[in-house]
Amino acid sequence: MARGIRDKVAIIGMGCSKFGERWDCGPEELILEAFKEALADANISREEIEMAWLGLFFQEQSAGKSALPLSLSLRLPNIPVTRVENMCATGTEALRGAVYAVAAGACDIALAMGVEKLKDTGYAGLPERTKGTFDDLWLPNATAPGAFAQLASAYAAKHRLNMHDLKRAMAHISVKSHANGVLNPKAHLRKIITEEEALNAGVVAYPLGLMDCCGISDGAACAIVTSVEKAREMGLKDVVVVKAMQLAPSNGFEMSNTGWDGSYLHTTRVAAQRAYAEGGVKDPRREINLMEVHDCFSVTELVVMEDLGISPEGGAIKDVMDGVYDRDGAVPCQVDGGLKCFGHPIGATGLRMAYEIYLQLLGRAGQRQLGSPSLGLTHNLGGHPFRNVASVSLFGLHST
Amino acid sequence: MSYGILSFGAYVPSLRLARSAIANGMAWAVPSLKGLAKGERAVANWDEDSVTLAVEASRDCLRGITVEPAQIQLASTTLPFADRSNSGIVADALLCAEFTGTEDLGGSRRAATSALVRLGLCPGGRATLLIATDCRDAKPGSVQEMNYGHGAAALLVGEGKPIALIRGAASFHDDFVDQYRAADTDYDYTLEERWIREEGYNKIVPKAVSAALMHAGLSIDEISRVVLPANVGIGKGVAKVLNLAPERLVDPMLVNCGDCGVAQPLLILAHALESAVPGEKILVIGFGQGADAVVLEVTSEIAALQNNHGPGHSLAHKRVIDNYPMFLSLRNQLDVDFGMRAERDNRTSQPAFYRRRKDITGMVGARCTGCKTLQFPRSKVCVKCGEMDTQIDESLSGLVGRVKSYTEDWLAYTPLPPYIYGNVEFIDGANCMLEFTDFAPGQVQVGSTVKMMFRIKDFDAKRHFRRYFWKPAPVQASSREIASAASA
Repeated sequence: MARGIRDKVAIIGMGCSKFGERWDCGPEELILEAFKEALADANISREEIEMAWLGLFFQEQSAGKSALPLSLSLRLPNIPVTRVENMCATGTEALRGAVYAVAAGACDIALAMGVEKLKDTGYAGLPERTKGTFDDLWLPNATAPGAFAQLASAYAAKHRLNMHDLKRAMAHISVKSHANGVLNPKAHLRKIITEEEALNAGVVAYPLGLMDCCGISDGAACAIVTSVEKAREMGLKDVVVVKAMQLAPSNGFEMSNTGWDGSYLHTTRVAAQRAYAEGGVKDPRREINLMEVHDCFSVTELVVMEDLGISPEGGAIKDVMDGVYDRDGAVPCQVDGGLKCFGHPIGATGLRMAYEIYLQLLGRAGQRQLGSPSLGLTHNLGGHPFRNVASVSLFGLHST
Repeated sequence: MSYGILSFGAYVPSLRLARSAIANGMAWAVPSLKGLAKGERAVANWDEDSVTLAVEASRDCLRGITVEPAQIQLASTTLPFADRSNSGIVADALLCAEFTGTEDLGGSRRAATSALVRLGLCPGGRATLLIATDCRDAKPGSVQEMNYGHGAAALLVGEGKPIALIRGAASFHDDFVDQYRAADTDYDYTLEERWIREEGYNKIVPKAVSAALMHAGLSIDEISRVVLPANVGIGKGVAKVLNLAPERLVDPMLVNCGDCGVAQPLLILAHALESAVPGEKILVIGFGQGADAVVLEVTSEIAALQNNHGPGHSLAHKRVIDNYPMFLSLRNQLDVDFGMRAERDNRTSQPAFYRRRKDITGMVGARCTGCKTLQFPRSKVCVKCGEMDTQIDESLSGLVGRVKSYTEDWLAYTPLPPYIYGNVEFIDGANCMLEFTDFAPGQVQVGSTVKMMFRIKDFDAKRHFRRYFWKPAPVQASSREIASAASA
C-alpha cells in the first residue's frame, strides 16, 4: 500500500522573481533572478543539483519547447531536465516532478523552476493560438474570463442569489487581495482598491468586471528540494516539507454530462479530499493556517472555498463577507496578494504560491508574516471550469 | 401516390435593418434614398451565409416529413464556395444519406424556378429537395442595399402525397441584361427600372406564362394567385399585360424582408402556401435573362403543413436594428478595428475535420448502448459509465436545450460583440459548452430554452475558408419549435 508523499521531501531553498510587466527581461533573466535567490537560500552550489524540472505553458510565446530554456539559461552541467506542462497547474507539476524524484531516491537534490513570459504579445489577456483542430471546430473561442464568469451565473442560479450580492462578495475578495498585495514588494499590482471601484469596474465577461480578473504578468519562481534524510545530513533541523501533492484532471464529466451544474469545480473537490487524506488533515477549516488558491478570477476563489471544504456549500459568501479569508481571519487566503496582484505567468504560479507558504512557515514573510502558521495549502486550476486540471498541495513544518 | 410538391419551407434571418437607418446614414450622398426608407430588410447575421440559410429553410421544409430527399438541388448566385460542393455541406448538415445526389445551381436569379420547371417537365421518382437561397450584398448607398434582403426557401418534390401538383411549366430564355454581376465582382450592376419594366417584365413574362398555361391546359382566369418576384410598380404592369387583377399578386415580401434574389420566387410561394386552399391554382414566375412559369394546383394535403411551415414564423420573430455601421460591419463592408485578438489564425486542419465531419456538420454525438447516455462529442469511451465501444451515432441538432451557465464576453473576438457562450443541457444526459447566436445582449439567462442552428463557426480570412457548426439560438414563443423538438 502506497503511503503517499507526506513528510518525505524537504524544500531547502526557494526563489521568486519580481512579477509584473518585465519589458526589460526575457525568460532567461527571470529564471536567473529566481534561481539566484533559491541557490543562496539553500546554501548549495549549482553543481549539487542533479535533476531539474521546468514548468512552462506557452512554449512558443515564452521560451521554446523542451528542457533547453532552463538548461541553457543556467548553463546546467548537462543534468537531466524535464519540461512539464499541465495548464495553470504547470508550476506545481514541476515541483511534483522534483519532489517525486528525490522521494524515489533517484537523486538527492532537484530543482523545480517555473517561468512564463506573457507580456510579449502586445495585447491584453492570454496569447491566442492558431485554431483549427477538432476541438476548435466546435468549442467556443472562449477567453478565460468568459469561461470562469459562468461559475458566477451558475452559482447565482443554483443558490437563488441576487447577482449584486454575489458581486459584492466577489468585490470583497478582490479588495482583500489588493490590500495584501500592497505589502508585497514582488507583487505586480500594489494598489489599494475599494469595494465600490471593484463593483463599478468595466465588464470584461458578464458578470466579471476588470477588478474581478487577475493580471497578466511575467515571472519565475523555483524550489530546491531534497529528501528529509539528506536535509538532516545537511544539518537542517526544522524544515518545510511536502505533506501532500494531489492532481485531478477532468475526464469529461463536467462538460459532457448533466451531472455537473457549472457552479463548482469538481476536480478541485476530488484533489482536495485526496490531499487531505495524504496529508492526514481531518478538519481543514481548523487545521489549515493559510492558503494560496487559484484566484484567476474573484468568483473562482469564492467557489473554491467551498470546493476545498473550508466553507460549507452555499456558505462561501457569508464567510467571505465575515472576513474568514482576510489577513486577520481564521483561514487567511492570498496573503501575498494572490494571482489578483501577482498576475499569472502560468508556469511560475504554482511555485510562487509555494514560495509564500514556505516563507510564512519559516517566519520569513516580513511585513506579511502571519504569526506562526504550521500548515499551508496551495491550489491551482488549469483550463476552464468545464474541463480542467486541479492540483491541491499541502506544506508543513517538520523536525528532522 | 402521385408526383408533386410534397412540402415547403422557408427561413428569413431574425436580424432586420430598419431601412430608415440606411437612408439616415447615406442621405448626405444619396438623398433620394429617403423615398425608399419604408419597413425593414432581412440581414444575415455575421455567421449566416447562403448555405446556412439554405439549411434552415430545408429544416423547415423537412419538418415532420417522412420522405427523405434522394437529391439536393441548391440554387443561388451567392454560394460561398466556387469549388467545394455547397449542397454537399447542406446534405451533411441535414444528415442526408451518403448516396444523396448533390447539385449546386446558379448563374441566374431564375436558378430555382428553372429547376422547378425541369422537375415539372421531367417528373421522376427521386425525391428532390430544391433549395433557393441568396445572400447578396450591395454597394453602400445603392437602391439595391435598400431593396435586397437575405433569405431562403425550399420545396420537396417527388412521389407521395403532394400538397400541390405541378400542372404546367415553361422556361423562356432571353439575354435581357436588366442587371448582372460579373464572376469576379462583389456587387450587382443594375439598369433603369423603366426599361426593365417596359422591355423586360412586360414583354418577357407573358411569353413564359402563356407557354406554361398552355402546358397546363388552363387560362389565366383560372389562376387564383400569382407569385411574381418584383416590386409593386412592376407587378402592376405585369398584371395589366396578363389581364390579371393586381390583387391576385401575392405580397412580394419586399417591405418586411426584401428581395432575396434566387430565393424570392420560392419564398413568396411558401408565403402563399401558408394560406392556400385546396384546388387553388398558383402561378409561380421567375425572372432574369428570360422567365420561368410554373402552374401549381394546391391539394387537400396542404392543411397538414399550414401553421408549421413557411416564412411566417421567422418573419414574425425579429430583432430590428437601426445601426447602419453595424450592418455594414456584419456584411464585411466596414473594416472595424476589433483589436489584435481578431488576428487569430483559424487555419483548419482538413484531416481533423474530415475525420470528424459528421460531428461538426451534423452535430452527430453518440448514445451509449449500455447506460443510454447521449453525449457530444462522441468518443470511444462513454463519459458516464466508462464502457468502451458501446456508442452509436445520434445527432443533437434537432434538440431543444436548457442553458445551465453563460457569459457575455467582451474580451473575446466576435464580429458582433459580446461573444456569448455557455453550457447547455439536452435530454438524456447530454451536455455541451457552445457558442450562442442570435441573442441580444442581456437576453440569455440560466434556464433559457435554446434550439440548435447551423452557422458559420469561424472564418479563415487568410485562406478564404469558412467552417460551420451548430449554435444554440433563442427558442421563440412558438409551439412549432417545441413540438418539433419533442418529436425529434
